[in-house]
Amino acid sequence: MLTLVIGGSASGKSAFAESLLAEMAGPRVYLATMRASDGESRGRIARHRAQRAHLGFTTVECPLRLEDAPVPEGAAVLLEDLGNLVANEMYAPDGAGEETEQAVLRGVDALLARCRDLVIVSVEVFSGGDKYAGDTLRYLRVLARLHIALAKKADRVAEVACGQAVYWKGGKPT
Amino acid sequence: MIFVMGPLFSGKRSYARTLCGEDEMIVDVQELAAPGADLTALADRLAARYRVVVATETGGGVVPIDPGERAARERAGRLSCLLAARAETVVRLFCGIPQALKGELP
Repeated sequence: MLTLVIGGSASGKSAFAESLLAEMAGPRVYLATMRASDGESRGRIARHRAQRAHLGFTTVECPLRLEDAPVPEGAAVLLEDLGNLVANEMYAPDGAGEETEQAVLRGVDALLARCRDLVIVSVEVFSGGDKYAGDTLRYLRVLARLHIALAKKADRVAEVACGQAVYWKGGKPT
Repeated sequence: MIFVMGPLFSGKRSYARTLCGEDEMIVDVQELAAPGADLTALADRLAARYRVVVATETGGGVVPIDPGERAARERAGRLSCLLAARAETVVRLFCGIPQALKGELP
C-alpha cells in the first residue's frame, strides 16, 4: 500500500507518518534522504531519530538513487522526504539531474515491488505565489509533477496541518 | 461557470481540460487583475464569457516587500473571491485531486 503524506514545514507530517508506520507489520525501514552537511541538518536528523526511536526502525541513508535502496522483502518503509530527495537528485553532482522525475518514479516502483507498505513524506511549497524563476521554478515543477504522479498511484493521500490529517484520497485505516 | 483554483502546478489546467474545450476556458486569471482594473466588472465579464475559469492561489507565504507585488497579490485574491461568488461550482486542486469547495464536483 502506498500512502503520500504532504504538509508544510513543522506541520507534524513526520510524526503523523510515523504513527501510520506504527500500525503496520513487517520490519520497519526509515529511508533518510537528508545529507548531514552542517550543524542545522545534523540537529534536525538527531531530533527525528529521537522521535522515532521507540518504533524500532532500521535507518537507511538514501540521499540519491532510491532504486538501489536495500529494503528487505515485506518491509514497512517510511521515505522522508521527497522534497529533499528531489533537490539532491537535481543538484548534487552525482544526482540524476534532468532525469530526476523518471529516476524517482523508477525508485518508487522498485520499492513498491518489494515492500508491503510505503509511506512517502513530502513538502507543501506551492502556496507562496507564482513569482519564481530559474532553478527554483524548475525544482517546483519537478516536485509538483511527482506529487501528481504519486497521488495518482497512491492508495491514500493525506495533507497534514498542525498535526491533523486531511485525507484527499483513501482514508484512515480501520 | 466553474471556478478552478489551487496552488502552483497542482494540476488545475489538466483538470479544466476534462471539463470543456480550450476555447471555453481561461487560465491564470490572477494575471488579469491589473492595477486600477474594475475587479467586479472583470469577474462579471469572465463569468459570462467562460465555462471554466482557472486561477492560481498566490496569497500564501510571506507578504512581499515590493509594493507592486503586494498589491497584485491582494487584487488576485479579491478577484478569486468575486469569481467564486459568481460560480455555481468551485473546485480546489491538490496534487491533481479535485475537491468541491462550493456545489458538487462536475
